[in-house]
Amino acid sequence: MKRTLEMKNIVKRFPGVLANDRANLTIQAGEIHALLGENGAGKSTLMQILYGFHRMDSGEILIDGARIHLASPRDAIALGIGMVHQEFMLVRPFSVVENTILGLRESGSPRLDLRKASQKLKSLSDRHGLALDPHAEVQSLPIGVQQRVEILKLLYRDARLLILDEPTAVLTKQEKDQLFAVLRGLRAEGRSILLVTHKLNEIMEIADRVTVMRDGKSVATRAVATTSERELTRMMVGRDVNFRTEKSPWRRGEPLLQVSDLRVFDNKGREKVRGVTLEVRAGEILGIAGVDGNGQSHLAEAIMHLRDVKSGRVLLNGADVTNLSVARHHAAGLAYIPADRRHVGSVTEMSVADNAILGLQRKHTRGIFRSGGAARAAAATLVERFGVRGSGIDHAAGKLSGGNLQKLILGREIMRGAKVLIVEQPTRGLDVGAVESVWRELLRERQEGKAILLISAELEELLNLADRIAVMFEGRIMGVVEPTAASAEAIGAMMAGVPAASASRHLEISAEEEAHGEAL
Amino acid sequence: MARLFERRLTPADSPLAVAGTTALALIVAMVLTSFLFISYGANPLEAYFALFHEPFATMRGFGYALVRASPLALIALGTIVSWRSGLAYLGFEGCFVLGAAAAAWLALLTEPGATFGPLPPALFLTLAIVVSFIAGGVWAGIVGVVRARLGGSEVLISLMANYVAIFVLQYLVSGPLRAPGSQPETRQLPRATWLPFILPGTRAHAGILLAIAAAVLVWVLLKKMPLGYELIVTGFNQLAARYAGINVARRLVLAAFFAGGLGALAGTVEVLGSQHRLMDGISGGVGFVGIIVALLARLNPVAVIPTAVLYGGMSVGADAMQRRASIPSSITFILESLAVLLVLISDVLRYYRVNPSALWSRGAEAAAEEAPRGTVGGASE
Amino acid sequence: MNVAHILSSAFLVTWLAASIRLAGPVLLAALGETFSERGGVLNLGIEGTILLGALASFLVSLFTGLTWLALLVAMMVGIVASVFLAWMYVTVKASQVVTGLVFNVLALGIASAVYRRVLGDAALPESIAMFHPIHIPHLSDLPFVGPALFGQTILLYVTLALAVVANFVLFRTHFGLALRASGENPAAADSAGISVDRIRYVGVLISGATAGMAGAYIVLAQVGLFREAVTSGEGFIALAIVIFGRWNPLKAAGAALVFGACDALQLSLQVFGTRIPSQLLLALPYVVTILAISGLFGSKAVQPASLMSPYIKE
Repeated sequence: MKRTLEMKNIVKRFPGVLANDRANLTIQAGEIHALLGENGAGKSTLMQILYGFHRMDSGEILIDGARIHLASPRDAIALGIGMVHQEFMLVRPFSVVENTILGLRESGSPRLDLRKASQKLKSLSDRHGLALDPHAEVQSLPIGVQQRVEILKLLYRDARLLILDEPTAVLTKQEKDQLFAVLRGLRAEGRSILLVTHKLNEIMEIADRVTVMRDGKSVATRAVATTSERELTRMMVGRDVNFRTEKSPWRRGEPLLQVSDLRVFDNKGREKVRGVTLEVRAGEILGIAGVDGNGQSHLAEAIMHLRDVKSGRVLLNGADVTNLSVARHHAAGLAYIPADRRHVGSVTEMSVADNAILGLQRKHTRGIFRSGGAARAAAATLVERFGVRGSGIDHAAGKLSGGNLQKLILGREIMRGAKVLIVEQPTRGLDVGAVESVWRELLRERQEGKAILLISAELEELLNLADRIAVMFEGRIMGVVEPTAASAEAIGAMMAGVPAASASRHLEISAEEEAHGEAL
Repeated sequence: MARLFERRLTPADSPLAVAGTTALALIVAMVLTSFLFISYGANPLEAYFALFHEPFATMRGFGYALVRASPLALIALGTIVSWRSGLAYLGFEGCFVLGAAAAAWLALLTEPGATFGPLPPALFLTLAIVVSFIAGGVWAGIVGVVRARLGGSEVLISLMANYVAIFVLQYLVSGPLRAPGSQPETRQLPRATWLPFILPGTRAHAGILLAIAAAVLVWVLLKKMPLGYELIVTGFNQLAARYAGINVARRLVLAAFFAGGLGALAGTVEVLGSQHRLMDGISGGVGFVGIIVALLARLNPVAVIPTAVLYGGMSVGADAMQRRASIPSSITFILESLAVLLVLISDVLRYYRVNPSALWSRGAEAAAEEAPRGTVGGASE
Repeated sequence: MNVAHILSSAFLVTWLAASIRLAGPVLLAALGETFSERGGVLNLGIEGTILLGALASFLVSLFTGLTWLALLVAMMVGIVASVFLAWMYVTVKASQVVTGLVFNVLALGIASAVYRRVLGDAALPESIAMFHPIHIPHLSDLPFVGPALFGQTILLYVTLALAVVANFVLFRTHFGLALRASGENPAAADSAGISVDRIRYVGVLISGATAGMAGAYIVLAQVGLFREAVTSGEGFIALAIVIFGRWNPLKAAGAALVFGACDALQLSLQVFGTRIPSQLLLALPYVVTILAISGLFGSKAVQPASLMSPYIKE
């Protein structure tokens, strides 16, 4: 039976934002359909509507030509639509089977029958190659396995359309390959897969057709076989993007930041940083590449002593700052721009002016009192110099857009006078214009002789900005390379756990090996 | 198409909006309580008149209003310092009691022939303030430490610590500090330890001056000092505070210390200014009414004094009302709590924008105007 | 008073009986509150709800002499109070701590006003109709433990049965699973098709029902009269017992017993004569409970992750 799902002229508005502007999407049975767009293009919103999480303002959704009404996820589930969100919807202390049957009432009885459910789950997982233990506690499972639980939840409900929102963001290369194998199997069964992503190479690898969204509209739909990454990029961004920056020559100065043999554990006693040694020199950007969750955040936090260091040392200009307080780090010239700009890097309830002096409150004083005038002047300078656009410095920082908020935080840390900047995922979620601004600022600091440790999951960003790129995998530095077009492959390999020696061998090997499907 | 009530992204937070919704809540509370008056066969207008006349139109009543207001204001200030730092401290009954006990104990030590003997009033008062502030500060500080280091719930621990403190008080006034006789209370404290009266012909004492001074100090702390900034940041977002280099654990303990100290001062002021002896039941729930005063003052130190005087006045008026109209004074509990609950409900109203134009316009053009071009913030992040 | 006295069987038996007796109401309230908190809502208002339930049961028993009717009415009063509270917590999404706290003051005012209105200065009878300790043939006659374990009022056994039922419902039914999910990860529950708001309402209503009944328990099975201070913090103790019992009904029963034992200790020691000041003994249960929930023994880790956070859909 051929089933087609159509979303027609979907309009959805949030306060201040038109997220979906008459968007269209058509999915056939037995296909893997990719939904491509930048952050903010409207893909997530469209999917939330399809899953019943949000109500559309106008438009219609049809299955085989008949209108359907989706008031809540319950309706979507009943119609065979299932979704795996970017942030997994799992109850961490529950077991796999408890998570699977949550919300389901199979028999009429109010009693839970975990045994029967486990059996059904086991047979499903065996059939689809998604091995796992039904009674394991979800929070003890690695991310890749947690994703399997999410997919099994959908299959348990016999979902015919599976929506996957950025599924590979947290996976290693092997896990991604396994996932794709599973998806191909599901496609062969006649199910449809809707893959929401911004990763072009993966679309080319797995999808049958792709719909591109931009600014809330559906721009075009193409069969993957008839299009190219370049064309898709152009449709996604609206212009030919040349991700090439003008970088001044690399002037290596003295090492400003030295980390030696750092070992860091997390709250649960797991070793997250296993003996990392690196150094960053004045006038250099050292990039740290790696899939999120391989210890990068822990490394950054440990360097700032936001997290305890089990062993190893952190030297700033030769002085040991390993166990000094965060405030002392600031005073010594180290600044940290964390990945979460809304919940960690700023206090969104406070004004822009108050955020501009966060951490600097003891500097702008007159005697024992705060000097309101000096603080506001500093804020005004910051806003001017870094181009922070918003309603005004007395308005809540939460009202700023992502890009402007990032510029505010960046400006604040730079104006602190720090000689060493640790920057984590600075352009996540930003539109192209904001990305360019942030890059420009970072390069300017580099020009002025600052040492910058740039942690990023976007290879593009590292290739453009960094002078050297270190790759972290499971808490270790796998290798350090210089950013050339060829090294992108080596970096990819190292990100998946291949040690540097073999990875650089991979550098020399040509595309022949790829054609033979050699897995690494 | 604009709707009549349109949900905003963030609540309207202009002072006008806040004051407006608070006033609205108070009015509705008074209307609702009127029904209660009617059920007693009383005329609501007469009842409200009795409620407000005594404390605000007579000198004597006003004096009593100030007396009741002083401890309320101090407790409200303590609430503001702790809650705005993110510590939901509720142990003011306990701090009040401890502060009263410390001051009374010190006062008894200045009786002729006792350890200290009579002291100059200024010296005694300073000593009493310092000692009781520290006593309350340490009592509350312990809760702060437990919260900061062990993660225990300060809400429940401080609530239960109140009972412990009250039992300690009961022990003291039935045992070591008890005056001869069967009442659980101490002797009257020496005249030299009493707070001076400030309004001739009334019982108003210097406690209100202490409260005003404290309000000014708290305002200066929160608005004008780097420490206050750090407390407020900690109250908004502990994680961001840590990342900014603020020592969150220390700030929480400090906030608890200040809150406890202020709560203890409330007890000191009550015992040295009004009661002149320590007895069982001296707190009478003031620890919680003080929190309510803080809530109605919207956690703003400037609004505390007028709000406290209003409340103090109402409790005086309620007694008068009970005498004259036989309406139980506990009606004020109902009025107060309804007011706060309505304020909480009205806060939700600030999340909505009223579009009167929607009542007569059917046009759909408003829709297109709201969409920004290009970059998008908010929803998709 | 010496150690030998304390270890004597007479003392121990009296102590055990009193411990179980005193643990009853507090356990009853804690059982319902466990449901509320498992759903993610902290209901501080149970203190005021217990008071209202106590008043209701007192009045009904006074005027009708029907103890079971009084219990039922108390439960209904608790439910009505908690409908308002649930609306504030879940729909208005007001601060749970503030709402609960202020509600307690409101309840005090209402109880006081109603009591005076209904009874005025009327003289009260010596005692009202109450629940009395029951007598189970053979079991109650066992030496030592008979009266203590099997000679309690029927309400205690009802409460224990409810603890077992609560445990079953919470951990072995779909409703319990959905409730726990709503308290841990409301977004996940929502995504699974569960109405988080609706289930949180139910949790709060359950806590209100048991709180109302606990008030009746105190009046009808323990003190036999009504005063404004008749509940004296039992609601807050119940809240502590929920934490002490790690949000688990059966463990809460154990925690309630520990609390009851501390409370009973001061009674029993007084009966047997001791030099320790009574007030300090009275403070003992509170001190012990504070220690138990201070986090010294790691209670934070098990807390429902979404407790006190209203669920707002993004």
